[in-house]
Amino acid sequence: MATATIDLEALRIRELAERRYKFIDRKWDLMFWVTAGFVVGAAANITHLLFAGDWDFWTDWKDRQWWMTITPFATIIIPSALQYIQWRAWRFPTGATYTAVCLFFCTWIGRLLQWKYFINMPINFVWSATWIPAGILTDYVLLKSRSFILTSLIGSAVWTMGFWMSNYIMQLPYLQPTRFMGHTLTVADVQGIGYIRAQTPEYLRVIEHGSLRTFLQETQYVSLAFGTTLCVFGYWVGQFLGRRLAVWPILKYLKQY
Amino acid sequence: MTEQLAPPAGQQRAPERATPAVYDPPDIPGKGPTDWMGGWKWGIFAPLILLGLAIAIRVYQAFAVFPWGLDSSTTQFFWMWRMLVVAFLLGVGIFTVVWWRWILQSAKSLPQRFSRREEVRRIAVFWSLVGATSVNLYIEASFWPNQDGAFHQTLVRDTAFTVSHIPMFYLFFPLGVTLAVGTYLYGRTRLPAIYGPDKGFPWSFFLLISATVTEVAQVAMNEWGHSVNLGNAGAEEFFAVWFHWPFVLYGWLASGIFALWGETILRLYTIEDEEAADARDTVPAAAPSTTAPVRGGS
Repeated sequence: MATATIDLEALRIRELAERRYKFIDRKWDLMFWVTAGFVVGAAANITHLLFAGDWDFWTDWKDRQWWMTITPFATIIIPSALQYIQWRAWRFPTGATYTAVCLFFCTWIGRLLQWKYFINMPINFVWSATWIPAGILTDYVLLKSRSFILTSLIGSAVWTMGFWMSNYIMQLPYLQPTRFMGHTLTVADVQGIGYIRAQTPEYLRVIEHGSLRTFLQETQYVSLAFGTTLCVFGYWVGQFLGRRLAVWPILKYLKQY
Repeated sequence: MTEQLAPPAGQQRAPERATPAVYDPPDIPGKGPTDWMGGWKWGIFAPLILLGLAIAIRVYQAFAVFPWGLDSSTTQFFWMWRMLVVAFLLGVGIFTVVWWRWILQSAKSLPQRFSRREEVRRIAVFWSLVGATSVNLYIEASFWPNQDGAFHQTLVRDTAFTVSHIPMFYLFFPLGVTLAVGTYLYGRTRLPAIYGPDKGFPWSFFLLISATVTEVAQVAMNEWGHSVNLGNAGAEEFFAVWFHWPFVLYGWLASGIFALWGETILRLYTIEDEEAADARDTVPAAAPSTTAPVRGGS
């Protein structure tokens, strides 16, 4: 009986896949995936910029306390919404990766055109973090678990850790110690001193200043754990956007007049 | 069975009206409903125009910011930047009136009945407008905000009308309202099966239009917040400040744009089903092969 049901389902899917349409062709796919990429990238970018952007603009702000605590929360929201939309519509476990790729293009166009060529900051001072490895891993969690609840719990941890590990590799050279005017600083600190930012906190102020600093080497692990907790909350904010604002309104009408 | 009632005495029967002919667009090679230069034409040109406009302004900035764009008290700033605000607002205003008026006026002379081909073409044009709105959302929520961060964190702000605000707040933000409302007007007048007046006002457009309108309104709160911030001793620029957050919250309402794609793709499948049903009805019954053995029958 079960085999017969599966066979029927397979036949139905095959029939759908092989169906010839008169008007629907690949141009519709292309137009959707390309133009949707703009609004997805924009939504992800503005959410990141205005919730956690300061900690990603400069190497000396990519600290162990706030960068990895609030960035995963700010950046999981739109990938979560896209996971819901793409999984619901096509059973594609690709929402987080798709968003991360769109965000990659948006942030890098911004960093190159606006930071590098507009105000002349070197790109190794203002490079953008990446979310693509974290997106692939989080989509893998959805693929294997087929559950948004499990993805919110496990995927949020994966997103936070994936974000940290993939970006720590790029940040590491700037965390090397160096001597500058008789003081031991990181290379990132020297960059912050060398390139004047008239409207940000002055370079003499320590960016990483909270009492969490007293945990010394444990700081980043505490931050990652708290970042994961916040990320679970962000994941459900994204689910709300995907469920209630993107999919629920389809063919729903407010009033007739 | 229903009974036909006779018209009351003294009331004349309305003359029989002929059913209007079904309009079907001419079949021009390369300009069909789903050809790139047919139904999809504006899907290519509209985003390119918007991106071209943003790049042209960025090139203007490259030449005009550092000599004349840093001190808002100068005469040069007035002519080269403040007047740009006026030009942008006037330009968007004129374009809005002309475009919306064209959509509404031309709808009056549209044929009442049209073919499925024509409806598919209109859906393709609709998707093109939605795509243009999406590109505009990118320009107003990523392209210029990135510049805003770079500019304001490295240069002293002495006016609400800074060179990074001008194209963002006074050109592309209002243009977002123009495009979202214009797309709705197009759907309401050209796609009656989905957005016709008898359907009611769609939630999808309510959310998208709300996003674009509230983004414009949020500019005022943003500048008010900056005036408070600049009055404090710190006078520092943080992007993650509380009075920036409504830009994000309002922007999330634009999620409704996915419902627009969803609604129209469902209509496309309905059209395809109707086409398939018609094709089945018109296909003649298959004649038995002369070589195949005939089973059953007498």
